[in-house]
Amino acid sequence: MSRLWPIVRREYLERVRSKAFIIATVLGPVLMGGLMVIPALVAGKAGKPLRLSILDDSGALAAPVEFQLARLRRDGNPRFVIDPPPSGPPEAREHGLKTAVIEGRLDGYLHLPADSLQNASASYFGRNVSNMIDLRMMEDAVSDTLVGLRLAGAGLDPIKVRDLTKKVDLKTIRLTAEGEREDRGAGALFSITLLMMLYTTVLMWGQAVLTGVIEEKSNRVVEVIVSSVTSTKLMAGKLLGVGAVGLTQFLVWVLSLAAVSVLGANFGAGSLAHMPEVTFLLLASFVLYFLLGYLLYSALFAAVGASVNTTQEAQSLAFPVFMPLVVGVMFFPMVLNAPDSTLSTVLSLIPLLTPLLMFLRITVQVPPMWQIALSIVLTGASIAGVLWVAARIYRVGILMYGKRPTFPEILRWVRSSG
Amino acid sequence: MSTDDAIRLTHVAKSFSGHSAVKDLSLAVPRGSVFGLLGPNGAGKTTTLRMVMNILAPDNGTIEILGAPAGPRSRDRIGYMPEERGLYPRMVLEEQLLFLAEIKGTPRREAARRLPAWLERLGLADWAKRKVNELSKGMQQKAQFIATVLHEPEVLVLDEPMSGLDPVGMDNMRHVLLDLKRQGTTLILSSHQMETVERLCDRVVLIDRGEKILDGRVSDVKKEHGKNTLVLAFDGDGSFLASLPGVGGITHFGRHVEIRLTEAADPQILLREATARLRVSRFEIVEPSLHDIFVARVTAHGKAVA
Repeated sequence: MSRLWPIVRREYLERVRSKAFIIATVLGPVLMGGLMVIPALVAGKAGKPLRLSILDDSGALAAPVEFQLARLRRDGNPRFVIDPPPSGPPEAREHGLKTAVIEGRLDGYLHLPADSLQNASASYFGRNVSNMIDLRMMEDAVSDTLVGLRLAGAGLDPIKVRDLTKKVDLKTIRLTAEGEREDRGAGALFSITLLMMLYTTVLMWGQAVLTGVIEEKSNRVVEVIVSSVTSTKLMAGKLLGVGAVGLTQFLVWVLSLAAVSVLGANFGAGSLAHMPEVTFLLLASFVLYFLLGYLLYSALFAAVGASVNTTQEAQSLAFPVFMPLVVGVMFFPMVLNAPDSTLSTVLSLIPLLTPLLMFLRITVQVPPMWQIALSIVLTGASIAGVLWVAARIYRVGILMYGKRPTFPEILRWVRSSG
Repeated sequence: MSTDDAIRLTHVAKSFSGHSAVKDLSLAVPRGSVFGLLGPNGAGKTTTLRMVMNILAPDNGTIEILGAPAGPRSRDRIGYMPEERGLYPRMVLEEQLLFLAEIKGTPRREAARRLPAWLERLGLADWAKRKVNELSKGMQQKAQFIATVLHEPEVLVLDEPMSGLDPVGMDNMRHVLLDLKRQGTTLILSSHQMETVERLCDRVVLIDRGEKILDGRVSDVKKEHGKNTLVLAFDGDGSFLASLPGVGGITHFGRHVEIRLTEAADPQILLREATARLRVSRFEIVEPSLHDIFVARVTAHGKAVA
């Protein structure tokens, strides 16, 4: 053990001190957060109110529509400012409005044709027609007005009708042993986010092991190392060191997330209240399945790294190694929809898929304990087997230079004794 | 079994997927000696050294290091500088050297205590905090050497210790090696630089195609090959020399030639022929150089095997 420690420490310190790690660790959450939060903030920010005119061919609709639009608010401010349309014959008015829009005096105008009330048709002419939220508000306002007028025309009371036809607001509440919690679809999004994080980190640190092995091999330092410690110790030290770097990164992320939550709560940011709860079970299983996935895949990556001479050569061999990870991600919608179906259960017990799919199931609906235990045992056994094979490939491969070995040659390495 | 030998190989063999790299090799390196392991490229030197370092296990035979079978324990007592140098390029030199001593079982603090003297001695004191890839090739070579000796091994195995060094560096290295020898360290050098081997080594073993073809003290080996070499320096066209009776072969060295004489040759006749046709400035009968012995033996062995 005394020889393992320096290797783990070197591997850990060299990586944690590197600029790449610091950038990835600090910038990762900032970028992720930025990608998710900034568009939401920008889309949510309304900006200046829209200046509109209403071109009403019938002459009877402009007033009620204007009344409806003027009432609408966004971020506490009136959203629409209605300018009176120019006077004159219809063509001249329309021409005047178009000019006003193009010259920027108006943001747009609403055209209500003479048959609006009968055919429920209306058009909006504007410089910008991609502002979905504003357009939806406008559409609802015009629609409500027209429906109200039609109901009144049929002798019905619009307010009474609205009360009677009120739609159901389906609340979704997630029931767990710990209690209940309202969940508005953030749960699925959260599961997918965690799944993608798991996928990315397992792949990222597995690849780090791969390139680390290739670098040691190509700058020939490996022969110096294995004249001091066994190749198995070198491999073990590398896997542990890189794994510890991965855990450090998570720790930084979890702490910064916690800090952000606390700050957010202090600033009274409402959106965080809708964030799904990060339970201890979730954190623990994330770390556990990360470690299982990381060890399984990085041992395979170490064997690949030892069998090749350059990163280019590694590409073709590395692909079949991480293929199961991609497959695991592809199965996520199915597992999300039916986390306890037979197929989900079977898939999540296949060791190469377990780290992603069993974890996903835990985030959606905690599976029976025996399944979790079985997944850990099966994956653990596979890791032991893969480590054994990888160590043998590694032992021979790190001293082999030149032609890339064929698959039968690699098998012979596994079987060889010395 | 004698424990006077630092390293003893007995009937060692190793093959890789059908190709035998080392065949039935036996040799002994006495403690405190400077031992040259010679051989052409592909002779099996690196494989032999890797087996001594317990990186590879022999298929047959036994390897003893300082009286005990080669194993994980014995390799801590050996310092190994492989032919292909290897250091982590982006690692700070000092960190790197401490790490390499640590994995040889030397406590970090102890290694840190020894390090400054070695850096000073090899002229790297100002580079301790620099990354290895900022060092010149010669400096990396010296750094690699420190990595080999920092854990104070009893046996040093150096593959081409002089390569990449300028003449000053070579002289310095030679002094360092002789100091280590004086302190009782056993040195095993594998080199193609015959001049280095001749100046430093007490004993040599020559291997070719995995077999030992020569073994003994350098002085004995040379004596055994007799005083059959003629050094001749001259002005003029010496191309006729090759056709004179008794000339076995000529090696040109620019300003002089070395002539290998056959058994029956009479050097006096050769001298007379030469003075008659050339301006001779030097004429000397010497022992053959290790270089010539190497070439002659390997060539003969190649023919015998073929």
